[in-house]
Amino acid sequence: MPMSSVIWYLYEFARKSWAESFAIAKTNAEIVETPERFRDFPQVFPEYCIACGACIAACPAPHAIKLIRSEDNTEEEGRTYPVINNRGCIRCGFCAEVCPTDPKTLTCGENHLIREDFTILPTEKMFVIDDYLCIRCKKCVKACQVEGAIVEEDNKIVIDQSKCIACGDCLDSCPVKGAIKGIYIDHVQEQKDIIKIIVNSLEESIEAKRDDISHLLDDEVYRFDFDIGDLVDRARSILSDDDIILDIFQKITDRLKLRIVTWDDEKCNRCQLCVNECPSGAITYNEEEDVVIRDAEKCLRCSICYQTCPFGVAGYYVARFLLDPLSLDTGVIHVTVKPSQLPIGAD
Amino acid sequence: MLDALKDVVRKSSIHVCLINTGGCNGCDIEVVALLSPRYDLEQYGIYVHNNPREADVLLITGAVCEQWKENLQRIYSKAPEPKVVVAIGNCPLTGDVFNQEGSSVYAPVSDFIPVDAEIPGCPPRPAEILAAILAVGPDAIAAKGREKP
Repeated sequence: MPMSSVIWYLYEFARKSWAESFAIAKTNAEIVETPERFRDFPQVFPEYCIACGACIAACPAPHAIKLIRSEDNTEEEGRTYPVINNRGCIRCGFCAEVCPTDPKTLTCGENHLIREDFTILPTEKMFVIDDYLCIRCKKCVKACQVEGAIVEEDNKIVIDQSKCIACGDCLDSCPVKGAIKGIYIDHVQEQKDIIKIIVNSLEESIEAKRDDISHLLDDEVYRFDFDIGDLVDRARSILSDDDIILDIFQKITDRLKLRIVTWDDEKCNRCQLCVNECPSGAITYNEEEDVVIRDAEKCLRCSICYQTCPFGVAGYYVARFLLDPLSLDTGVIHVTVKPSQLPIGAD
Repeated sequence: MLDALKDVVRKSSIHVCLINTGGCNGCDIEVVALLSPRYDLEQYGIYVHNNPREADVLLITGAVCEQWKENLQRIYSKAPEPKVVVAIGNCPLTGDVFNQEGSSVYAPVSDFIPVDAEIPGCPPRPAEILAAILAVGPDAIAAKGREKP
């Protein structure tokens, strides 16, 4: 009896698979393999970076991410971009999540999806209170039919998005225009495109009237009407919903305060004072042709050139808008342009 | 001949000691996952102890807090030669999220004891730890064993 168990024991050890796994131990490849959903260290694409610093602000680890700037060379300025220190990075993916560039400068596998709290009802609008305009009269709280949907928190009136049923009663009760906003939550990209078209065409139309507004005195106001027919047609080609388009037109004209910079080359004496003052590098001096050039694409409308220039080349105006009557077909945008009240020149 | 024999023994039987110098325990849990049947660390001849006197490899996790500054060196001195130190996770490398301004962590570990291998990650995957231990452990110990003390 003992003999047979000894033989059995030896036989057990003589198995080929035993011997193999004893000599070359290996974990199954599918266990070691990184699954696709695994969020690895972020990848950096320096060419897209706009140096906004959002990634650094979002990063929870102190040593993980740094913005660096490569050296300037003769052709172009140095490029600013983030670098990831793998020894500090915790692979949370926050940097990739907040990166605002498109395409993203930082990518990091599957991201956390930070979802805003939402109602289960299929609503097309989300209502928010603009704390800046809210006068805390609490009329919306009284008008609201859902218990606890509009609450006072920290001396602010806020809408609890998880309870709101988006009925719009608060909007009707609000005495301040714009303090409660109903935001269309669908077609965000289309809405952005329409806003861009509206703002750009308004700015162009004002810049075209440069001759008229350049003679304005400090307290004078220049008025003209802007026909929206063309804009509406372009907006309709992007988005078919007239309600949303009217909503965008109304919001844009209510809130937009457009800063206009005009540029009068004839007055320029090539002193180049503005070139170095410009914070975005939008003004450059071309030595061969002896001209100072302003690039409107790069311009931040910050008014520094207007305040610097001793010859009045740059003009600075503030424009306001009103859509009246409130309709896409008969509506006209009334534009008022005012010269800026900013002081010119040093002291 | 004796050296060759020692090399084989040292390579095929590695004893590791896990030391948490004040971290969140995440890396230690990943090491425990290595011990589980899924990854099965022991099939490579690697055994985990809690006693540095039995260990060839010290696995360090954590960002080195006040109390660990001296104890870490004491533990290191207790491990018999040849010994290898592997830093697991970001804490022993940079202090990670604990290394905020005004905090009392004294990372990196390499300020206190010599570190032979680093495994970044917060925490690193068990597979990454396994690969690093296997890549550095056996050969480094064999090589250190051949050095004249």
